[in-house]
Amino acid sequence: MNFAHLHLLLNHFPIIGTMVGLGLFLISLGGKNGDLRRASLIIFPAMSLLAILTFFSGTGAQGAIKKLPGVSEALIERHQGAAMLALLFMEITGALSLVGLWKSQQKSPLARWNWSLSAVLLFSMVTVGLMARVGTTGGDIRHPEIGSGQEAVTEGTMMSKMVHAFEPSPARVAELMTASKWWWALMMDMHFVGLVLLIGTVGILDLRMLGFAKQIPIGALHRLLPWAMAGFGINLVTGVMAFMGMDQYYAYDWAFWLKMLAIMLLGLNVAAFYLTDAFDSVEHLGPGEDAPPLAKFIAATSLFLWFAVITLGRYIQSFSDTIAVHK
Amino acid sequence: MGPPAFLQAIENTGFSTWLRESESPFAFYFILLFHTFGLALLVGANAVVDLRLLGVARTIPLAPLKRLFRIMWIGFAMNAVTGILLVFAYPTKALTNPDFYVKLTLIGLAIWVMQKLSRQVFENSGLSEADMMARGATLAKFSIFLWFGAITAGRLLAYTYKYLTFPS
Repeated sequence: MNFAHLHLLLNHFPIIGTMVGLGLFLISLGGKNGDLRRASLIIFPAMSLLAILTFFSGTGAQGAIKKLPGVSEALIERHQGAAMLALLFMEITGALSLVGLWKSQQKSPLARWNWSLSAVLLFSMVTVGLMARVGTTGGDIRHPEIGSGQEAVTEGTMMSKMVHAFEPSPARVAELMTASKWWWALMMDMHFVGLVLLIGTVGILDLRMLGFAKQIPIGALHRLLPWAMAGFGINLVTGVMAFMGMDQYYAYDWAFWLKMLAIMLLGLNVAAFYLTDAFDSVEHLGPGEDAPPLAKFIAATSLFLWFAVITLGRYIQSFSDTIAVHK
Repeated sequence: MGPPAFLQAIENTGFSTWLRESESPFAFYFILLFHTFGLALLVGANAVVDLRLLGVARTIPLAPLKRLFRIMWIGFAMNAVTGILLVFAYPTKALTNPDFYVKLTLIGLAIWVMQKLSRQVFENSGLSEADMMARGATLAKFSIFLWFGAITAGRLLAYTYKYLTFPS
């Protein structure tokens, strides 16, 4: 298996997933169905995590096929630019969905409409459109039977030309990220600040569930969640920008990919916490009360995985070029 | 005028050379890793206390947060040890860089503020929550500012050094 396989495996999820998410969201509008809306607000953040992984795997897929006969670098670039724009909207949709979930969790399940839900609707519709374009431009690279060939870079429908005007040039983005060492230093600095916010807030919640500082009611610690999400958001943005700046450096690095795997497992960990009984079983625990085994297991897994993420991140530098490719 | 000669003497020791040049994943990067763990424990725990004192997540009772100071001290101890080892690996790089002294100063001040928080706010069990917040708010702001500065100064060490090793 190489990165081309991985990319082809992953790339359907963000495209179809956002469509399904939007579909559920639209149906929930008509039927006032709180569960459907909640499901869609969970699907979007899940897709925004997978979209990042898909984007990263694209660099390796590019390395695997760009020397093959008949593969046009211009088509690859167009696809990559389209993916950058779609990724931007995907991440915003995911973040807005989490805001929507947070707000509706504080009120009744069928909370009144608020600005975050309008924003989710708008951004998810744009994302679905942009994702379709990413799929089409990606298909053009290796599927001559459905594509229109190399001319497609400059030709195409009115709509695709208009969208293309907003798509960044991947080379230009990379140049922007790496042009100044002070900009790079700032991104890395913020990546550490995000780490501290995230580990501090999530760490204390995990430790409390495991029995540390039991006088603190667990529900109260949950109020720190927006700060954990802010830390994660800072690191997601700075991390993706760093990748776009030096994709060849990260894409063939075992430590980097294992770090991504650990982050995806953390996504499952968070899902396991909020979507099973674990959350309800601890949310109302007061001072001195012990968390049940399932919650403890999830907390221990979370702590372990976050420290694994730090560890693997630290070893990226010494594991560069550990994945062989036919460059 | 070059850097002082004792830096070269440190660099030439077997231990310093091993830290710097060993291909083992348990040499330099391992120490750097534990320096990052220590940072996460120390500043992560301190940041939560600071945020709470500034009014974030007010339903968290303040008194039990006293327990977090132990985590901070463990993180600080880890970073004092790993920090010395890192300087041992690259003494010329660190000690000839003014930013290194800025970092140490900021850490010193941040630890001083942390100790004041511990003594004045958390070790006085007669205080009400409102009193604790009133006493701690300014310290908490300083704490956040100083830790942010210390992390930034630390990160900048990778970008501002004049010599990586002793100039030959």
